[in-house]
Amino acid sequence: MGRVTAALFRTAWPGRKQLSAAGLSWVIALPCGLVAQIGATPLDEPIKPIPLVQDLDPARTELGRRLFQDVRLSANDSLSCASCHQLASGGADQRAFSLGFSGQRAAVNTPSVLNAGLNFRQFWDGRAGSLEAQIDAVIQNPVEMGSTWPEVIGKVAADAHYRTAFAAAYPDGVTQANIANAIATFERSLATPNSRFDQYLRGDAAALSAEEKAGYLKFKQYGCITCHQGVNIGGNMFQKFGVMGDYFQARGNPSAADLGRFRVTGNEADKHVFKVPSLRNVALTAPYFHDATAKTLEEAVAVMFKYQLGRVASEADMQSIVKFLETLTGERAGPQP
Amino acid sequence: MSLVIRPSWLLMMVTAVALASTLTFLFAKTEEHDPSASFESLALLRQLRQLDAQWELNVLKSKIGINQDYDPLVEPLTALRAQWDRLETLVSLQAWSDSPDWQRGREAYLQALEDKSELIERFKSHNAVLRNSLAFLPIAENDIHTPLRQLGGSGRIEQTAVVADLHDAVLSTLEYAQTTSTDRAAEVEAGLDRLAADKALLPPDLQAALAILMTHVRTILREQPLVNGLVERIGAVPMAVRLDELHRLIDQAQLQSAEEDLRYHEYVLLFSAILAGLLLYVGGRLIHSYAVINRVNKKLQEANDGLEQRVQQRTRELRETQSELVATARQAGMAEIATNVLHNVGNVLNSVNVSADLVSRRVRNSKSQGLAKAVQLINQHAADLGDFFSRDAKGKLLPGYLSQLVEALADEQQGIAEELEHLTRSVDHIKEIVATQQSYAGASSMLEAVRVTELLEDALRMNAGALQRHQVTVIREFAEVPPLLLDKHRLLLILVNLISNAKQALSAQDKPAHALTLSVQLLEAGNLQICVRDDGEGIATENLTRIFAHGFTTRQDGHGFGLHSCALAAMEMEATLTAHSDGPGQGAVFVLELPVHTVQGGS
Repeated sequence: MGRVTAALFRTAWPGRKQLSAAGLSWVIALPCGLVAQIGATPLDEPIKPIPLVQDLDPARTELGRRLFQDVRLSANDSLSCASCHQLASGGADQRAFSLGFSGQRAAVNTPSVLNAGLNFRQFWDGRAGSLEAQIDAVIQNPVEMGSTWPEVIGKVAADAHYRTAFAAAYPDGVTQANIANAIATFERSLATPNSRFDQYLRGDAAALSAEEKAGYLKFKQYGCITCHQGVNIGGNMFQKFGVMGDYFQARGNPSAADLGRFRVTGNEADKHVFKVPSLRNVALTAPYFHDATAKTLEEAVAVMFKYQLGRVASEADMQSIVKFLETLTGERAGPQP
Repeated sequence: MSLVIRPSWLLMMVTAVALASTLTFLFAKTEEHDPSASFESLALLRQLRQLDAQWELNVLKSKIGINQDYDPLVEPLTALRAQWDRLETLVSLQAWSDSPDWQRGREAYLQALEDKSELIERFKSHNAVLRNSLAFLPIAENDIHTPLRQLGGSGRIEQTAVVADLHDAVLSTLEYAQTTSTDRAAEVEAGLDRLAADKALLPPDLQAALAILMTHVRTILREQPLVNGLVERIGAVPMAVRLDELHRLIDQAQLQSAEEDLRYHEYVLLFSAILAGLLLYVGGRLIHSYAVINRVNKKLQEANDGLEQRVQQRTRELRETQSELVATARQAGMAEIATNVLHNVGNVLNSVNVSADLVSRRVRNSKSQGLAKAVQLINQHAADLGDFFSRDAKGKLLPGYLSQLVEALADEQQGIAEELEHLTRSVDHIKEIVATQQSYAGASSMLEAVRVTELLEDALRMNAGALQRHQVTVIREFAEVPPLLLDKHRLLLILVNLISNAKQALSAQDKPAHALTLSVQLLEAGNLQICVRDDGEGIATENLTRIFAHGFTTRQDGHGFGLHSCALAAMEMEATLTAHSDGPGQGAVFVLELPVHTVQGGS
């Protein structure tokens, strides 16, 4: 049985030059080819396009939009959600670490709020099961918003405009759950569909250049796809940072935040385990990683090759992959109207 | 209307309330059972099981690489949570939702779900690493194999050995990936050892590639059992069992409530039967009661008719009796009048007797005999009349005597004539009394123009003798009254009686002088008022009310008819007759007030 399988593999991977063509025909390209013949039929790929249509309550979304930009959510009326999740630049912070209401540095790099609704859990360590829980944690985080719910509810309820808007959007008006839900609803609306790559996935072969298509192939061949897959190209699983090498030892300067999910579960196996981040709009969200050590995509890709894939890639291949990554920038990811 | 509720009503009300509340209770009980929620819960549980199975299937698909991404391992969890929330909402409405069994089942399920999602998270991480290495292994082999073949030249045999070792190592690793066992693991370890030994035989760049390959082989060695173990543990998480338990619990509860529902339906049926029986009984009783009421009504009607006839008869008899009484009273009144008349007539006859006696005595003792003697003397001396008158002593006296006699005779005659005139007047009086009596007796009620004062005079005249005898002074206070239409007979009857009554009241007192006052006046209301006042013995207060009663009298020789007949006569004339007295010895006054009509055009 074992021998038969090996033989199969050998015929499948007869030589390095034919590898790309053979792998393609066996794993992905066969349906691809079929699709090419049929026309603009969606491709069956490990990555799925973001749905173009959303079904969200417009009143709650609008309410959340206002709250998202309201500094009254922070203890000293200095920070809003938008202070760190800058919608004009990929929904993340340009700084390596955001500063909280009192100027203290956050422990990890701010993840993008764009497409956050597509993540299976929130935060680098996945400690929040929903956007509402994430909002709850940020508002009460002593470094970040540093506020309390009674304070926030008091400020929001004191605003006549909010009161009427909440009364219109929720049967029970201004409550903790409704404030969190409104912001979460707005954040769910922050999906960035119709990236060039999504157009390609939907069957538009001309959406990507040959170089970018080659970059996608390499992305798959090198195994990036094993973790960065699904609709959000990541964001649906945990993975240990440094599977194939000790990243943290090499980096030095260990911090508590480096322990990742271990801090949530206390499970030894969860040490250095983080949520695999989404790669959508990744070209806009530098710096990278929870510790913001990678300033450019190239650096990030190199680190990934070394510590996650355990492989060596040529500079050209990595460049090619970066080209592909740049096709993942979706609509609405740039400056907001 | 009595405010006291009768016990029978109370009983009926209590029964009605009891029946109504029983019916309401049973109805509410039968309505309580709504199987749709239970069925929906069961459907949700089946969906949960399906999702769970789907989840597990997706894990297996991911393990063997059919699933290209891990979204299928995330989505079922989201769906499971959403469906569970729906189930909890449904169940929270059920009575049994807080039973310990359910709570235990629920906790167990949630624990299983948590365990499973935790395991699946770890599976995703390890499987990704494993699949990466597995996918890389042939490429890594190729990365060494191809340059080695191209190298050629020296050390060909060593190269062939290295290639064979490489091939064996990759093959055994792939076999290990297929069927993980300690034997295979040892085989892989041995292959790795051989490769490590071969490492020195390779050129430096291929040494690095070999190191990478060996790292991935070790990764597979490490990750494969982990993934296998995780998949096994995922399969062992008793989610399906927990869901089946919940299914069984809901089924049981549903069955129980269905049984209870059936029981209550039976109760309702039974109760309805009882109610129907009661209704029939009540209906029967009603029909029976209706018949009884009809019968009694009919009897009552008959009795009523008989009673009415009897009342009519009695009324007629009474009326007859009353008219007899009236007639009797009238006759009594007439008798009274007759007595008065006879009394008066007797009085007058007395004076007639006296007159006649006086006349006869006068005639008997008449001076006419002296005339006869004188005439005899003259006749004796017829011859010598002259002498006689002149000489004879006697003759000389004779002319004087004669002239005296003439005077005496003239006196006598005048006296007799006067007495006879008396007599004639008395007889006239009698005639008058009788005539008066005749003019009133037997007259029935008829109105005629009457002068009240004349009528009063007649009444007084009828009592004149008695009044004279008792020296009663009659005071007349007559106002000017025009002729009026009156029942003359009845009015006279009343007046005669009242005057007679007053006279007797006066006579009962030993006073030398009595006064009887009669007054007549017209009242403003158009009524005629006649008062008969005396200062006689008076009437005791306690007798004032009885004085008009039939047979009541205070006198020994009284028969109690007089005033009674007066009252009757007054009633017949629509008049009122009242008596008033300040007490015994204070006199009395009788007031007759009667409606009158003036005679048209006067008279």
